[in-house]
Amino acid sequence: MTGLFNRLSPQGLRILALLAVILLLLAFFASQIDGYFNARLFSRISGSVAIMALIATAQTLVILTRNIDLSIGSVVGFTAFAAGNLVSTNPEMSALLLVLFCCCFGACFGAVNGLIVAYGRVPSIIVTLATMAIFRSLLVEYSDGKSITTNTLPAWLTEFPNLPVFTVFGLEFRAAFVAALIVVLAAHLALTRLRPMRQFFAVGSNPEAAEMAGIDARRVVFSAFVLSGALAGLAGLMFLARFGNITVVAGLGFELKSVAAAVVGGVNIFGGSGTVIGALLGAVLVDVIDTSLVRWAIVSEFWREAVLGALILLSVTTDTLFTRRLVAWRAARAHARREAALNQEARP
Amino acid sequence: MSAIPTLALRAVSKSFGMTAALADMTLELFPGEVHAIVGENGAGKSTMIKIMTGIYQPSSGQVEIGGAPVVLSGSKAARLRGVAAIYQEPMVFPDLDVTENIFISATGAGLILDRRSMRRRAEALVGRIGMTLDVDREAGGLTLAEQQAVEIARALSQDVRVLIMDEPTASLSAHEAAELRRIARSLAASGVAVVYISHRLEEVFEIADRVTVIRDGRHISTRPVAEVTPQGMIADMVGRAVGNYFTKMASVARDEVILSVRGLTRAGVFEDISFDLHRGEVLCMAGLIGARRTDVALSLFGVHAATAGEMRYKGQMVRMTSPAQAIALGIAYVSEDRRKLGLAMPLPIRSNISLATLAQYLSPLGLIDRRRERGTAMAYRERLNIRAPDVEMAVGVLSGGNQQKVMLAKWLAMKPDLLIVDEPTRGIDVGAKAEVHDLIRAFVRDGGTALVISSDLPEVLALGDRILVMREGRQMGIIDSARATQEGIMAVATGQSEAA
Repeated sequence: MTGLFNRLSPQGLRILALLAVILLLLAFFASQIDGYFNARLFSRISGSVAIMALIATAQTLVILTRNIDLSIGSVVGFTAFAAGNLVSTNPEMSALLLVLFCCCFGACFGAVNGLIVAYGRVPSIIVTLATMAIFRSLLVEYSDGKSITTNTLPAWLTEFPNLPVFTVFGLEFRAAFVAALIVVLAAHLALTRLRPMRQFFAVGSNPEAAEMAGIDARRVVFSAFVLSGALAGLAGLMFLARFGNITVVAGLGFELKSVAAAVVGGVNIFGGSGTVIGALLGAVLVDVIDTSLVRWAIVSEFWREAVLGALILLSVTTDTLFTRRLVAWRAARAHARREAALNQEARP
Repeated sequence: MSAIPTLALRAVSKSFGMTAALADMTLELFPGEVHAIVGENGAGKSTMIKIMTGIYQPSSGQVEIGGAPVVLSGSKAARLRGVAAIYQEPMVFPDLDVTENIFISATGAGLILDRRSMRRRAEALVGRIGMTLDVDREAGGLTLAEQQAVEIARALSQDVRVLIMDEPTASLSAHEAAELRRIARSLAASGVAVVYISHRLEEVFEIADRVTVIRDGRHISTRPVAEVTPQGMIADMVGRAVGNYFTKMASVARDEVILSVRGLTRAGVFEDISFDLHRGEVLCMAGLIGARRTDVALSLFGVHAATAGEMRYKGQMVRMTSPAQAIALGIAYVSEDRRKLGLAMPLPIRSNISLATLAQYLSPLGLIDRRRERGTAMAYRERLNIRAPDVEMAVGVLSGGNQQKVMLAKWLAMKPDLLIVDEPTRGIDVGAKAEVHDLIRAFVRDGGTALVISSDLPEVLALGDRILVMREGRQMGIIDSARATQEGIMAVATGQSEAA
């Protein structure tokens, strides 16, 4: 056990801890709510996670570079609406083209943010706070107060999220969830294995050193926003397919949920460290709480948000305290080992 | 030296607005030489480095590499042409591990990372510079010396023809610094042109083949090190003949004991520290990095309470548990880390000086009396010779020496009885060092008492009345500085001999 404890990176430990917390929570709710575990629970959570995982991943990319994207909810909403509009007038269009459209559409919003943050050198919290409002107002203007309704959408789109792909232990994995998992996995592989993506961590970890090391920090930050926008666009499509009815408030509050999922998932809010797998688990945790509290009789609907907030605070606080201790402890041990080695050398 | 220089600056000038940081600078670097560059802070050394590494473009003049004029547009362009630099504050990525740190800027390599071969090459590079390091560790947990090794390995990971080392040993212990110099020499032996910038002149004499002195952005002299004397070099640097800055001054210590420490221990950090500090005395603490001198100071100042032992301050038994308590008793602590603990860089000089004594500037309504605050700041600027046109200037734009003086001013404004100063002259130039020494001397002459932590042995000998030598958390002895020598202190600090 101690061997495993020593070998695992703090990130790895965090993921294990998150899994444990999710399982404990599920067990807790199962003891509180009759008939908690059923097929519907899994499909509800997985359906919701399909969207959350995408926006958590999008947010993670930006946070890694020591920035934040508060406009993500507006981008999701706008893309959902625009895609809905497009597909209801062209119901025969190819699905691939629609996916591409959503990615590009979202990426354009990301590029606006990225340009101002990276090349205008304006703090991202200010830029995206402003664009959150601007993008939302543009959506109101563009939609002309109308909404997209399910009956105008082609059946292949609205049916997609619920298509069963495969079943494990009676749990039905549906298309939306599986697609989101694939995207997250691809993002994870890219972040860990692609050279240009490793620079996201470098820039977030020490921007000055990145500059000195010949990394074009501005381009890295810009790319992070563009990629994040593309993922948010994809989340918009997912949102459209899942809910069908899109109003101008679509995606409202997603900035908070995405930051929460990323941070609960162990992404350092000051940049430089974190994994999208962690962010995915963070999204799952947030969704489990969100979905289960509705069914828990003891807690009224009114308290749902507060409990959610408290749990986020709790998990992040214990997590940072724990990780900090671990890092300090490991450094001390490495130091002791080095000293011992030096003494060994000095002796003969 | 008729060979083609690896890198040359030809009549390079660089101005920022009205001020000329470099004027008509000429420098030739040849393969296989260690070329030291010395000059006071603000002489233009960092501007010169930034031009050689492509961060700045010269306003006029030419940079040549291998005899051909080049335009270095950015650090990546310089890196591709074989120019790399390492700095006093290591530029590592704390969240990435050693391997990733080494290869982060790898250009021309494939898109997909091959972790296993990267790891192997990282180990080889670390081995090549004679270090042992776990390449999977995160760089944030490494010591400064190890972080610097990572930076050198990063430079070596690509073809390197010119390696610029900017004050690389300023934060290292003597042993680590010697190790680094060995690395620099071996790189030069393999044909790299090494530029070595240091404030430690003895180091320059040990390592360099040639020395270039620059002053006020201008080239003053370039000579083989054998033809230079320390006094001549200092005269070149400051532009006037200076007396030995190591001048020993007479002690003004009195009989009254201000601070008496017996068996002070913080479990696992340091143990059994005992000394008496008299009014008007300067007690220096010497030792290598890792001797835990700063930890002792932090306990005296109440940051980390001691776990055993006793402390008497002005005859009263005290248990120091917080900096606020220490400050209330008239103890001030000037930290070694200006950036992290000492100064608020974006704030003006005025606010920094009044920071620790803000209560003195409050009007009856509880508002800050700016005029009085400004008056104090101007008085200290005058007294400490802080070179800044106005006290409203942000501290961050001052040179290191002037920042150090602002920090001292902040604590002197408190009018403390006991001043604890940690590495007061690290990384500042010879002239500013002498000024800081004078300040501490003036402080004790006026009835203050000082405890000075310093790794600069000539400084310890010049400043201290007595020298407390520590090694690995233990007090090795207290030496009267009149009878001490650098070699003697070093022998005690490294555990080679007992204190007399």
